[in-house]
Amino acid sequence: MGDIFSNLGLGFGVVFQFVQWTPAFLGGTSIPIPVNILLCLIGALVGTLVGVLPGIGTIATVAMLLPITFGLPPVGALIMLAGIYYGAQYGGSTTSILVNIPGEAGSVVTALDGFQMAKQGRAGPALAIAAIGSFFAGCVATVLIAILGAPLTKLALAFGPAEYFSLMVLGLIFAVVLAKGSVLKAIAMIVLGLLLSMVGSDIETGASRMAFNIPELADGLGFATLAMGLFGFAEIIRNLDAGGESDRELVQQKVTGLMPTRKDMIDSTPPILRGTVLGSILGILPGGGAVIASFAAYTLEKKVSRTPEKFGRGAIQGVAAPESANNAAAQTSFIPLLTLGIPPNAVMALMVGAMTIHGIVPGPQVMQKQPELVWGMIASMWVGNLMLLIINLPLVGIWVRLLRVPYRLMFPSIVIFCSIGIYSVNNAPTDVILAGVFGLVGYWLIKHDFEPAPLLLGMVLGPLMEENLRRALLISRGDWSVFLTRPLSAVLMAIAAGLLVLTVLPTLRKKRDEVFVESEN
Amino acid sequence: MNATPGQAPVKSIMPKWVRNPQDFVGGIAMMAIAVFALWASSDLQGMRGFSFGAGTAPRMFATLLLGLGAAITVVGVLTEGQHLAKYHWRGPLFVTLSIVSFALTIRSMGMIFSALTSFLIAACGSPETRWVETFIVGVCLTAFCALLFPYALGLPLQLLPTFMIR
Amino acid sequence: MNWYGRSLASGCLAALAGLALLSAQAQAQTYPSRNITMIVPFAAGGPTDVIARIVTGHMAQTLGQAIIIENVVGAGGTTATTRAARAANDGYTLITGHMGTHAASVPLYPKLAYHPEKDFEPVGLLAGTPILILARKDFPPKDLKEFIAYVKANESKVNAAHAGIGSVSHVSCELLNSVLGVKPIGVPFNGTGPAMNALVAGQVDYMCDQIVNAVPQINGGTIKAYAVATPERNPSLPDVPTTTEAGLPAFQAQAWNAIFAPKGTPPDVVAKLNAAVVKALEDDAVRKRLLELGSVIPAPADRTPAALGTLVKNEVAKWTPVLKPVN
Repeated sequence: MGDIFSNLGLGFGVVFQFVQWTPAFLGGTSIPIPVNILLCLIGALVGTLVGVLPGIGTIATVAMLLPITFGLPPVGALIMLAGIYYGAQYGGSTTSILVNIPGEAGSVVTALDGFQMAKQGRAGPALAIAAIGSFFAGCVATVLIAILGAPLTKLALAFGPAEYFSLMVLGLIFAVVLAKGSVLKAIAMIVLGLLLSMVGSDIETGASRMAFNIPELADGLGFATLAMGLFGFAEIIRNLDAGGESDRELVQQKVTGLMPTRKDMIDSTPPILRGTVLGSILGILPGGGAVIASFAAYTLEKKVSRTPEKFGRGAIQGVAAPESANNAAAQTSFIPLLTLGIPPNAVMALMVGAMTIHGIVPGPQVMQKQPELVWGMIASMWVGNLMLLIINLPLVGIWVRLLRVPYRLMFPSIVIFCSIGIYSVNNAPTDVILAGVFGLVGYWLIKHDFEPAPLLLGMVLGPLMEENLRRALLISRGDWSVFLTRPLSAVLMAIAAGLLVLTVLPTLRKKRDEVFVESEN
Repeated sequence: MNATPGQAPVKSIMPKWVRNPQDFVGGIAMMAIAVFALWASSDLQGMRGFSFGAGTAPRMFATLLLGLGAAITVVGVLTEGQHLAKYHWRGPLFVTLSIVSFALTIRSMGMIFSALTSFLIAACGSPETRWVETFIVGVCLTAFCALLFPYALGLPLQLLPTFMIR
Repeated sequence: MNWYGRSLASGCLAALAGLALLSAQAQAQTYPSRNITMIVPFAAGGPTDVIARIVTGHMAQTLGQAIIIENVVGAGGTTATTRAARAANDGYTLITGHMGTHAASVPLYPKLAYHPEKDFEPVGLLAGTPILILARKDFPPKDLKEFIAYVKANESKVNAAHAGIGSVSHVSCELLNSVLGVKPIGVPFNGTGPAMNALVAGQVDYMCDQIVNAVPQINGGTIKAYAVATPERNPSLPDVPTTTEAGLPAFQAQAWNAIFAPKGTPPDVVAKLNAAVVKALEDDAVRKRLLELGSVIPAPADRTPAALGTLVKNEVAKWTPVLKPVN
């Protein structure tokens, strides 16, 4: 225990480092500047502002802002980058809630209830609870990394292809559960998402699959492209239908309080706690664990709730749980990087890139060799989360005010921001056109009462599922029993089967959900 | 300008025995997508011994989607449901045009031109647009983007048309 | 509404000022008179990107113009390379290509829209990254000789990992397997990180990878290295023998990175760019940072455009027979 305190002390010492600044105009008087705190603050602020642009998700934001950290000293650069990362994550949640545009897989679930809350004039509480939940989750996860980082690494190494496949199967079941309408249609959407994720090149042979010789499709459809089309553009087109405008104006009039009420806080506390636990565990698993954290949390809330029919219609628990899980996972996904030196996902790979540019090559010994770096980063995670709370609670007012801009001016602006956003991810005009096509597809899906969220999740999980299935079969030389003989995998499969039964049985018996849709409109 | 009435009753083109046209058409569309995917992946290799070929998974999921589409269609015949929703042409047309225009002009004409034209085209999508106001906002938004993306964020976006730079 | 209007007005003013600045920029006469775009066909932070950023940072000082890095990701870097091949040949669009985009791509992608030799003007070689033969830490063979014997004897049982079709780790592993005359099961991963994770966790047996990613793991004892596939030992891993020393001289591989310009770029522009590359490679700070990455800096004779042209030709000839059977 004492070790941890001294380590954390070292970390906070690095973060709270003061540099004496002696500006000429003060005639030699020097002022102490908390450089690293400032860098963290700037990082979180810039990250939020870029992440909030529709179309630009976490990976794109970090990739975009990476070069601005190159000129800084290594520790400062990494602290700033961590700030950017948290900021971008939170910024993505903001667009999900305000305009129904998830910037990354994790915030798809936030959009479900967050946007409904915004429509009911409760964007303020939704944003605030997201910030509070994230902060709490961030604090817990920071402590967890400090205390259990090294032993938890074993979990990351215990997960082989077979375990990942089973985890992804479980993830797909989660995607069914979070649908609010017909289960049959939700499953169809997941399968459609899986099918879309097959576009691109085959991982094992490199053969081009359903890409029709379009070079931009050679690597598959981008998440941003699809999310922007199915959520962003489709929502705009739908709003432009007759009646949409008046619907919108109604929303703008009934904006109520900015902060969550006492009841909101009480309702959100258990989801935040459960979300934090789930997110912390799933975040450690490299390559896909963090992706399913937010909807695992959402599914759990919907299952334990006494009023599951409220989910998808503006339940604050549906924002609090996934947002906490999301942030906890974002934090614990640093564990494999800090203890093994192996980046578990694309954002972490960028972090490693930033480190190499500064001449630090992370590896299993980075904790012993560069303790001030590792512990400085861990401490800065907590500071970064605090910054997010400090930056975002006041910003809630501004974001909500933004909703009052007349829709006739807002929608072309969103179209432009989305277009520039998608374009700048890969500098590819084709991506913009593809997003437009998916906008029309999304419009059609809305008209036929198909939900886009399961589609998007199928799309995200598809490659992970197929690749791990194939890897597992390659390694086992075609023996399918590995999924049941490896204990971790068997446990995951059992949970998936149980959850499926729990979900399908009640919907077969009655269609209470659909009755609800009609009585509310 | 905003005299469009709410939801006018839609005349059904569906035969009487289809009790839920929304699901019926939706299911048929899913089946169509599945058939298309089966066709598109027909040139890919199947199972190679114990390991998957490139085409195994796409065909597997396409077949699954075909079945699900059929099930949705059958449900659409058997259960009572909603009529087909009404489509509008104005919003989808102009928003799509705006996106396409942006994609086609961004590399040759630069961001200032393409962002402004796309903004104005998108604005045609709503009957409530007031042109003077829209134009001013469009110019300001373009200016804001022109400063934000290439300068503040350092993105490699070209601002002016290519012929003006050369 | 008032708040909205005010922010609009200030936005307009700021934009006008920005535009005035821009037009003043596009005036000067000789090359380079404006910013140069450097396409990097891989994600920011990858080995090629890091090398490109280190070198172009110094080149920009020599040339007196900013060099803007544009990361274009896709299809093993061939999407970006196709774009560079079609770009204006005025010296304002360049590309940092590597072993994959400008050699191995020829046999790997039968429908490739460019040819590395015919569609580019070679500018200069930047740095090479040696390739290592790596294995999980409890893999039975103790040295390269035992490894060769073991893999040959257990061909149907061993698993070789790689970081995806077309990646450096994939093509170099294919070369190793063809030199050894074996065809083990290749387990594909999505990038170097996941592949390394599987190797550390012992889920796969061996792989080939660039030195940058592997040094910390080898030093940490989580994996082991049998040999480095370059003529000389690498200063960052002095104990690891070369393939020649360890008994497999036929396996030589290095992931090289180099700058190319579209075909038809004026010779004086290429010469100016090459001079900037050479100057950067002589700079102590640049050399230090490249060496920290485990890179091999080309000898002065290998830094000319002509030498790079020859390298590309030899590399295409080297990879074509190795990778053809894969497809």
